[in-house]
Amino acid sequence: MKPPRLKLPVPLTRRREPHTLAGAYAMDAISAPDRTRFERHLARCEECAQEIASLREATARLATASAVTPPPDLKERVMAAAAMTRQQPPATAPADGPARTRAARAPRAATWLASQGWRVRLTVAAGAVAAVVVFGAAVVFGTSNGTMRQQLHQAQASSQQIAAVLTARDATMMTGTVTGGGTVTIVRSHSMRELVFTAAGLHALPASRGYELWLIGPAGDRSVGMLPLGSGHMTGPVIASGLRSGDHLALSAEPASGTSRPTMPMMLDLAL
Amino acid sequence: MTTASPGGRTPKPPGTPRVREEAIPPDPVGLDVQIGLVARGDTAAFDAVYEQIASSVFGIVRRVIRDPAQSEEVTQDVLLEIWRNASKFDAERGSATAWVMTLAHRRAVDRVRSVQKEAERERRVATSDIPYDEVAEAVESNFERERVRRCLGSLTELQRESVTLAYYGGYTYGQVAGLLGVPTGTIKTRMRDALIRLRDCLGVT
Repeated sequence: MKPPRLKLPVPLTRRREPHTLAGAYAMDAISAPDRTRFERHLARCEECAQEIASLREATARLATASAVTPPPDLKERVMAAAAMTRQQPPATAPADGPARTRAARAPRAATWLASQGWRVRLTVAAGAVAAVVVFGAAVVFGTSNGTMRQQLHQAQASSQQIAAVLTARDATMMTGTVTGGGTVTIVRSHSMRELVFTAAGLHALPASRGYELWLIGPAGDRSVGMLPLGSGHMTGPVIASGLRSGDHLALSAEPASGTSRPTMPMMLDLAL
Repeated sequence: MTTASPGGRTPKPPGTPRVREEAIPPDPVGLDVQIGLVARGDTAAFDAVYEQIASSVFGIVRRVIRDPAQSEEVTQDVLLEIWRNASKFDAERGSATAWVMTLAHRRAVDRVRSVQKEAERERRVATSDIPYDEVAEAVESNFERERVRRCLGSLTELQRESVTLAYYGGYTYGQVAGLLGVPTGTIKTRMRDALIRLRDCLGVT
């Protein structure tokens, strides 16, 4: 005979031995509804929170005991992605006193642990990027004859365009290494035929020279433009539009005024 | 004439540590401190954090997910999450290692549950050697692995299978109960007992 099943709506209370779920919860061996319910309980039960914390010290060792060296290029990708990802501010002290602090923490941790997907983070990144682009775009458009107001309009339009690419449904991220130093991260949307380019750690060039970005492919070689002077470590973001199939993204060092044909060899060649 | 310098120049063999009963230190040196620095946007600290934890994160993610490409993707997500949410780490609530591995494991499990079809997974688990299945290549930290293996070995068979299927297999307790043909109530209890025993055996708190 099968044991009686606990009906789902029954709330977990101390009397109903919520502790029995502690092991399953600490190993994430729990369905989403059970997880939510247990976390609600956890927020009110200091003892349970402590038990979970101690069990997780044990499960963490199950994890570290499985360590495997990741592929070497993963680090570059992670560092480049971090460079274009805004960090979350620390939690501020709750208004209703320290007694609730601890209880309130568990569900919050659970919230950020919830899977979000990188596109959500890119949305956040888009905000950070927007701040940079006002500077970057001002540099790019600075050579035009427009007034400051026009430049700012262009900068805003550009940051919206960047945010649109970063949050496109088909947005994908790619990274590449620049000959001579530096890492490039791009986010590309096929449907929009656009990409957002950023670079980190590019080798500084003499003032008379600059980096020029290119789209190279069956449709011909098109200059995307000179990269803005980076503020410190980061360069970009720069948007490239009108991608065609078979295009490669390339980077070359050119005279600061730019050129109509790239100088070989390319310092970056990324198949899109 | 030879003057023996007692204990002097003989280079110590890089042998295995003998003090097996000592507790595992909660964190590799300074991981909690480094994560505090990462919260302030310190990229050098993030670099150091990466060096300390990337292989553990990749290891557990890969063990749960198996598919190398997906594992890399999730590992990258997890590491970025650490960058992004470093300010949320609270040393009072546990070690930095536990914080990182909890995040990594949950992400891996979420990926497996959202992406893979149950049928595929069951077929796969049926053909794999569950309890001591190891990824063959470049497995690190032998000492700790040995210790974990020993502590897993001290569990009852049902406890060990529950932990292995749940933690490394990414199954819910309900699925574990189904796979082992045991009532869910029993599995829940075994899981908790097993982790308490593991915790005590590993000397972590």
